[in-house]
Amino acid sequence: MTAARLDTLRRAVPSDTERAAHGFAIDALEPAIAFSPNDRAEVAALLHAADEAGLVAVPQGGRTALHLGRPLQRYDVAIETRGLARVVEYVPDDLTLTVEAGIHLDALQQTLREHGQYLPVDPPPDDHVSIGGLLATARSGAWRGHLPATRDLLLGAVVALPSGELTASGGRVVKNVSGYDLHRMHTGALGAFGVIVEASFKVAPLPAVTRTLAAPTATLVEAGTLALRLWNAGLAARALSVLGPETAERAGLGSGPTVLIELAGLDVSVDRSSELVREAAPRADEAPGAPWDRLRRLHGDTVATVIRLGVPATSVAAAIEAVRAAGCLAWGNVASGAVIGHAPDLDGAAIERLRAFATEQGGFLQVEAGSRALRTAVDPFGPGEADLVRSLKARFDPRGTLNRGRWMEGV
Amino acid sequence: MPTTVHPAFIEALERAVGRPHVLSAPEDLVAFEYDATIDRALPDAVVLPRTAEEIAAVVRAANEHDVPVVPRGSGTGLAGGAVPVTGGVVVALTRMNRIIEVDAANRVAVVEPGVINLALQDALAPLGLAWPPDPSSQRICTVGGNIANNSGGPHTLAHGSTVNHVLGLEVVLADGRIVHLGGRAMDTPGVDLRGLLVGSEGTLGIVTQATLHLVPVAHAVRTMLAIFDSVDAASAAVSAIIRGGVIPVALEMLDQAIIRIVEPRIRAGYPLDAGAVLLIEVEGLAEGIAVEAEAVIAACRASGAREVRSADTQPERDRLWEARKAGIGAVGAVSPAYYLLDGVVPRTRLPEVMRRVLDLSQAYGFACANIFHAGDGNLHPIIMFDPALPGATQRVLDLGGEIMRACVDAGGAITGEHGIGLEKRAYMEWVFSPADLAAMERARLAFGSVERFNPCKILPGGHGCAAGHAEEVARHASRPGVYI
Repeated sequence: MTAARLDTLRRAVPSDTERAAHGFAIDALEPAIAFSPNDRAEVAALLHAADEAGLVAVPQGGRTALHLGRPLQRYDVAIETRGLARVVEYVPDDLTLTVEAGIHLDALQQTLREHGQYLPVDPPPDDHVSIGGLLATARSGAWRGHLPATRDLLLGAVVALPSGELTASGGRVVKNVSGYDLHRMHTGALGAFGVIVEASFKVAPLPAVTRTLAAPTATLVEAGTLALRLWNAGLAARALSVLGPETAERAGLGSGPTVLIELAGLDVSVDRSSELVREAAPRADEAPGAPWDRLRRLHGDTVATVIRLGVPATSVAAAIEAVRAAGCLAWGNVASGAVIGHAPDLDGAAIERLRAFATEQGGFLQVEAGSRALRTAVDPFGPGEADLVRSLKARFDPRGTLNRGRWMEGV
Repeated sequence: MPTTVHPAFIEALERAVGRPHVLSAPEDLVAFEYDATIDRALPDAVVLPRTAEEIAAVVRAANEHDVPVVPRGSGTGLAGGAVPVTGGVVVALTRMNRIIEVDAANRVAVVEPGVINLALQDALAPLGLAWPPDPSSQRICTVGGNIANNSGGPHTLAHGSTVNHVLGLEVVLADGRIVHLGGRAMDTPGVDLRGLLVGSEGTLGIVTQATLHLVPVAHAVRTMLAIFDSVDAASAAVSAIIRGGVIPVALEMLDQAIIRIVEPRIRAGYPLDAGAVLLIEVEGLAEGIAVEAEAVIAACRASGAREVRSADTQPERDRLWEARKAGIGAVGAVSPAYYLLDGVVPRTRLPEVMRRVLDLSQAYGFACANIFHAGDGNLHPIIMFDPALPGATQRVLDLGGEIMRACVDAGGAITGEHGIGLEKRAYMEWVFSPADLAAMERARLAFGSVERFNPCKILPGGHGCAAGHAEEVARHASRPGVYI
């Protein structure tokens, strides 16, 4: 790394934005330089300067999902988005919100809560994630399926490209089909094409009441059957999960297979739903502690290996069994078909076996976190339309300036 | 500027889909020169394929002969998306109309693109399921068309647009490759190419099969009709309902002009002297909807509703909805032509923008009726006019432009569910910067489809495309007929 190239970056933004590089290591790889820009124009300027200098930039927010994807091929410049944390526009009566992408979800929820509203997402590991990271990783929690995915709540976004351009798509109204939904392409793209600097969302009224019930069952099969029955019971539910026995224990519940359901809505709807749950599962009772928080943290653990399978609802229990058999804690969400596995370590062969299991059902397996070695040996995402992704990369980031290698060789 | 196709191209098409499924005689082609808009252009040929492989072969032939390819469903599009403005071959997907699979237990359906929306709903209803997109054209529009336009409908308010309910797609790309985007489970890993494809109006690829996400039909539904003396009061009620924290599953407005057109035909019991009505639906558990209905009624009364009726039986509900669904079509019976607009504003800006719409229509001297998705802030002014009067068509288009401008000025969008197509290309520059549009162009280039699939749609400019809507329309505006 020549000092001259780094100086081009330094000239692009005010000197007070530079940070000590050693605080930004990823997979034990340290960047040559780090910045914490104050606004979107500085993000764009840095990206452009990196692009011109042939350096690889890695944007980061809450640094909670750095182990998602393949290890970086190169890492020269860290761009922290913490300085972009303003609420740009919030119109409570319209249920719409526009924020800068560096704001953290918990700060956002705090603002919304004052007006009885929230952004209805529960990503791993908790609410200490940046909005940019939330979008770039597109990770959901137990609410998914009962509630929309983050990308379905996203009304529009502004994205800084390696060309230095700031580009918008979508808008700030709740319904809009003007032009290509590029904000959807950037959602889940792990920063392959640009850095999200602003996002507009539709938000929701907070439920008046929430209540979590846990129903222990004798077997996982029984838990799966009960969960499907509850899914089809028309309940005011916001989450409905099947927990393997080990997971139930880690969530602070009993030590057997368990169906965990969160009811949310008007008090009358929650009361009636509770009755219906108890009719179907007489042993169901209010769950102590904060089991959902514990499950989110397990899902978002970056020290362990974490996998996510997507399977049909009717295969959730079988998938949990298969993931347990590979030595994992396992639980799954019926409405989204997401099954999470968590183990201290998992070898590539086990992951490929589970991937084959999910693929047979029309589903998939994604490695959510794992060692650098594991994410080198195994494709974290599985098969996809690599040619189209390469083609998009070539148009949006032809020099491979952003997050090089995180998707695949060169992307 | 239609291209002249070589006879060898027609032969190639015949090899691709079979001779009976290629149309090239002028009298056959006229049925494919328009959709539900004002724009018209003749294709050079039409193919009616049955499989993805046949479509791939058509696309390869089009590449070889450098001919544009324009996909088409039922032709109910409201933005000129299916009009082959530069000629070429229209790929009509109406023969690909099989429901391949309904996996009720997992709430998934796999369908071909030519399946009629309502036919799908009819197949799902006995299973207690529905596919949420429910545009007013659902009796004839196709699922493929819904996907191409990211269609909405009254129930978009609760469920979101089409893109939220598409899990996976099989797509033929411009190089003739068949690819699979998304999957059968939710939230497939990788770049969300599925999300980019939905709403791309046939410019990035041709959908040949779709895996859809279904929803269960609610246990209980309450449909209400709130009656107001003015559009202003009804608009204020929309904001009051949303502000109150109850999000109905549908929240539709009909103004006096449309009530007076629809009610004599449908007899749904809409009062002819009302300034506007709101058709409001809540659903869920019976206990919950009773409370929600009370909140809705209170918000309506506080905003000046003179009456709120409740439809308690299915036939009553069906009649209320029939008036809503038949509303736009009924305009054809009272006006020689009409122009249906589609714009979006923040819900809190509804009262002022609705006033502006009515003032502008009056200033231009046209009757305007309104029947729209108020809960989403999604306006559909219907401008009635007689195209036989000199200059009327141009003035209607000018008025449409001014109304779109009012939406943009209020912080809104130039289309909520009908798409950009041909009609609104020129307006794209009102909401997007040159850099924004260049980024969209990058995506289109990445799909390798700029000259091949549906040229001159969505993005302004383009080789061989007219400069803007007015110029495109001027070529066809002299034609009589009912313009929607």
